[in-house]
Amino acid sequence: MKESLLDILCCPLDKHDLELEDAEYDDDEVVGGDLVCTECGEAFPIEDGIPNLLPPDMREETPA
Amino acid sequence: MGLEERRDVETDVYQPAEDSALLAEAACERLDESDLVLEVGTGSGYVAGKIADETNARVIASDINPHAVRQARGDGVETARADLVAPFRDGEFDAVAFNPPYLPTDPENEWDDWMEHALSGGEDGRAVIDPFLETVGRVLAPEGVVYLLVSSLTGVDAVVERAGEAGFSAVAVADESFPFETLTVLELHQ
Repeated sequence: MKESLLDILCCPLDKHDLELEDAEYDDDEVVGGDLVCTECGEAFPIEDGIPNLLPPDMREETPA
Repeated sequence: MGLEERRDVETDVYQPAEDSALLAEAACERLDESDLVLEVGTGSGYVAGKIADETNARVIASDINPHAVRQARGDGVETARADLVAPFRDGEFDAVAFNPPYLPTDPENEWDDWMEHALSGGEDGRAVIDPFLETVGRVLAPEGVVYLLVSSLTGVDAVVERAGEAGFSAVAVADESFPFETLTVLELHQ
C-alpha cells in the first residue's frame, strides 16, 4: 500500500485514525507492518502490501 | 501467473463479466481525474482498474476476499481488505462503485465458498445490498454519488425503495438486457 492511503483509512471498529507501526518498505510501497488504532489500540496487519482492515473476528482466510 | 495460481483465482475470485463491463462504462463516463473513487467488492479488480486507466481518478478497491485483493493488487490496483465501507473515513469519496453479490439463493443450496460470497445475495438477493445502502452515505463527500449495479433478478424497484429509506434518490443511468435478466446501473445521490 501507499503510505498516503492512511489519509483515507480509519479503524473499522470506532472510526478513529490509524497509525503505521513496524513498517517494512519496498521502494515507496509499505509491504508489511501494522495499522494501529490511536483510540482502541487494535492492530490491523499489512499482509503482502495489502492492509487487512477486517475486524479481528472476520480476519481468517476461510469464508464466513 | 502460474497455472496453479490461475486455477485458484478462477475458483475463488469472481472474474469480470457483462455486469462488470456495464458498471465500469457507466462510471468512466461520469468521473474524471479530480475524483477519489472507492470500488467495494472489487473481485478481480477489473472495474477499479478500468476507472483508474480511463479517467486517471485515484481508485481504491476493497474486497472481503483475500484472493480477490491479491489479484487486484497484482494488476496494479490500490487495495484494502475490508467489509464494505467500514475502514474508510467519513466524507472522503466523490464516488463509490459496487457490483454486489445479487443472486437470490435458496439457503439450502448455499455452498459456502468464496465464489458463493461473490454471487449470493441471500434469499431476497439483497443480503449485502441492504447493509451497503445503510452505511455508504457516511464515506461519501457532500456531492458524492454511488454507482450500484442491480439485476432484475434482485428487483430494481426494491433496491430503489431501500435506497430511498437510506436517504438516496436514484436514477438509472445505464441498462442492458440479457435472456435471463436485465442489468441496470443506478446512480444514487444523497
